[in-house]
Amino acid sequence: MNIDFYLDIDTPIHRLDGRTKILLFLFSFLALVLFEDPRFILPIALLILLQNFLARAWINIWRIRILLTILTITSVIMWNVFASGETHLFWFVDLESMLYSFARTMLILFMIISGMNLLSTTRNEELVLGMIKLGLPYRVGFAISTALRMVPTISGSIYTISQAQRSRGLDLESGSILERIRKYIPLLIPVFISTIRGTNVFGMALESKGFGAREDRTFYLKMEIARRDFITLGFSLVVYILCLYLNFQDYGDIAGLTKF
Amino acid sequence: MSDPTVSIKNLKFRYRGEKKIALDDISLDINKGEFMVIMGASEAGKSTLSTCINGLIPHYTRGAIKGEVIVQGVNTQESSVPQLAENVGIVFQDFEAQLFSTNVELEVAFGPENFAIPREEIGLRIEENLKYVGLEDFRDRPPFTLSGGQKQKLAIASVLAMKPTILVMDEPTTDLDPISKQGVFDITNQLRQRDDITLIAVEHETEEALYADRIALIQDGKLVRVGPMEEILREVDLLEKLGVMPLGIPKFYKMMGHPELPLTTDEGLKAFAETGWKVDESKYAQIVAKEKQAAQHDEQPLLQCRNVEHVYPNGVKALNGIDLDIYEGEIVAIVGQNGSGKTTLAKHLNALLIPTNGEVKVNGLDTEEQGVFKIGQKVGYVFQNPDHQIFSELVYDEVAFGPRLREIPEEEVDQRVKEALEAVGLTGFEEEDPFSLTKSGRQRVAVASVLAVKPDVLILDEPTTGLDYKEQRSMMDMVRRLNEQGSTIIFVTHHMWVVAEYAHKVFVIKDGQILLDGTTRDVFAQEETLKDSFLRPPHFVQFNNQLGKTFLYPEEMISCINRS
Repeated sequence: MNIDFYLDIDTPIHRLDGRTKILLFLFSFLALVLFEDPRFILPIALLILLQNFLARAWINIWRIRILLTILTITSVIMWNVFASGETHLFWFVDLESMLYSFARTMLILFMIISGMNLLSTTRNEELVLGMIKLGLPYRVGFAISTALRMVPTISGSIYTISQAQRSRGLDLESGSILERIRKYIPLLIPVFISTIRGTNVFGMALESKGFGAREDRTFYLKMEIARRDFITLGFSLVVYILCLYLNFQDYGDIAGLTKF
Repeated sequence: MSDPTVSIKNLKFRYRGEKKIALDDISLDINKGEFMVIMGASEAGKSTLSTCINGLIPHYTRGAIKGEVIVQGVNTQESSVPQLAENVGIVFQDFEAQLFSTNVELEVAFGPENFAIPREEIGLRIEENLKYVGLEDFRDRPPFTLSGGQKQKLAIASVLAMKPTILVMDEPTTDLDPISKQGVFDITNQLRQRDDITLIAVEHETEEALYADRIALIQDGKLVRVGPMEEILREVDLLEKLGVMPLGIPKFYKMMGHPELPLTTDEGLKAFAETGWKVDESKYAQIVAKEKQAAQHDEQPLLQCRNVEHVYPNGVKALNGIDLDIYEGEIVAIVGQNGSGKTTLAKHLNALLIPTNGEVKVNGLDTEEQGVFKIGQKVGYVFQNPDHQIFSELVYDEVAFGPRLREIPEEEVDQRVKEALEAVGLTGFEEEDPFSLTKSGRQRVAVASVLAVKPDVLILDEPTTGLDYKEQRSMMDMVRRLNEQGSTIIFVTHHMWVVAEYAHKVFVIKDGQILLDGTTRDVFAQEETLKDSFLRPPHFVQFNNQLGKTFLYPEEMISCINRS
């Protein structure tokens, strides 16, 4: 069992420079947070979906569908509770709070999808190199990529450990919520311990390969900004400036909304 | 004599927070171009010593250090690990944790990148080293999709790309099948002829040590002996005493009281011809006949697989039409190359995995209908890594976990814990913290915790991996005792001598299918077919195969020898 989000295929998005893909993610994020009204968020969301379509990365969104569903439900309920408006619809739900909750939910979902677009199309090394070229120190970039790399390793060990405990008779699927939480202890402790042990070897292997031996470092991976990167970045910059303009003109807010 | 490449002088080391001294006054010189193998029991200090050479001790792993290690004129304590890395490369046993890139090429590039080697030069080194270890066709593959042997070869290539003059290998082949093991050692051996590189390897397996120039034996942090390979490997009794497996061939001749001890198969054959000893045909026929009779079964099999196929969610077909029967009271070994599907098969036998096609029956009951909770009661499964299941603060609670989940009354739980701990030889350890035990101790706790559920069948995944010879023996002797008390045993392993001495029956798995099956003797007689699945019998069995009789271990052969 090994889960890696990177999809080793050749698409127009994959061919973009690492920096471009990171900036696209940043632009998406900055544009999404500007608006409270879902109608203004929708075009940005569609562009993110377009990116996903071009990258053929739908499969990764499908893989996290359960997470996305849970987030959608809890977020819609939560934002209705934490906001209210003037047009009452039913129970604690007002028209304004309803719109607002949709907007916030879209924000979360499309941030995740945009992040997934980045991870699906960018190699770990490309991501680090991109971040460094954008001005981040090498060690910070490496730390971020290591954290991402830990995800599949840990999920792999969770899988093995849950098998080990299930074969001893642990049943994770029954009982009340409290009971179920208690049942997770036999999973969490071994996961924790084996991760720590793995990290130790990882650290040793890293140092033994001369990590941080010198100030300068070669990057074998080549990165070159091409015309397609300028076009993509130019387009997203225009879209972003447009969003900013609309925001300054006070579009995209919901009238009569009270947030707690 | 010229200056040694590595010079260790009166080295003492104690890990931080531990009372026991890990290295106790070790002095050892290793010469340029030499192949030194370090051997000894678990926890003797072998890995500690090897990580002293590239400065991981004392820079990464802290503790109290005395004495010095000089590597090519540099005192390791005054340098740093990344600086030393330019001269000293290290390959670890855990091949997962030492690979961190997303494709093979970038993995090899990582070391040179850190030393700011020009890009074009790195390209050349990738080319050269991938070709050298035979991975040039895999350059775009993510490392985690490689087999265990390939991963270890990649680890070696990625270290060689830094052009070290000293290569340290800490049990590089422990998790590999026999032929992949040999592949790794063939590579390092060629390397020595090509580059005059100094090799230092920690090894458990004596057959692999035959490649060495010298062997250093370590016990309780002390250097017991160091000498030429030919000399040390003939010290059968000393090796056994130190928890290192002696080779079967010299052991046989030593037990026969022969003055000269041959080491290899060829030497063994030559010596045998000179002695004029004869194998007693009738005694051998008796052994074989007895075995054949024991393998006959009229009753229903306990475990049954019919045309079992398994396709993982990612589309990989791990099992492709397995048919097998396992009967009550047998000890069965499942062997095969890394990634052949043996663990997948074993997991089907206790319903952890359900076949995507075909059926598995335990006691005539279908595993798919019964599920792992019910089948787990009859078929216990001990995972390879005990750390994947231990979570309790006390050994007692860990062993009691299974029975308690099955709502067995507390008095009976107590009884079962006692019995299980007794069976694994851990009586008196009830109040200990399982995490403070050695690997072999934790392995025993894992076995006890499965035994406490009182299964009829016990599956052990790689029960001897990571243990030294003495621990392996005592683990397998315990397994045999359990078998004599009525348990049916199935184990998955890479250790061929364990199969030779303990298994009644062997299934050889290749590419998700059964390539060979039969009594251990019949299977080990077919060396050529075994080679196809990256396996080979121990040297002692190979030696016997060439004599025309398949004896599995020295004692058996001795009982059939007529001196003339």
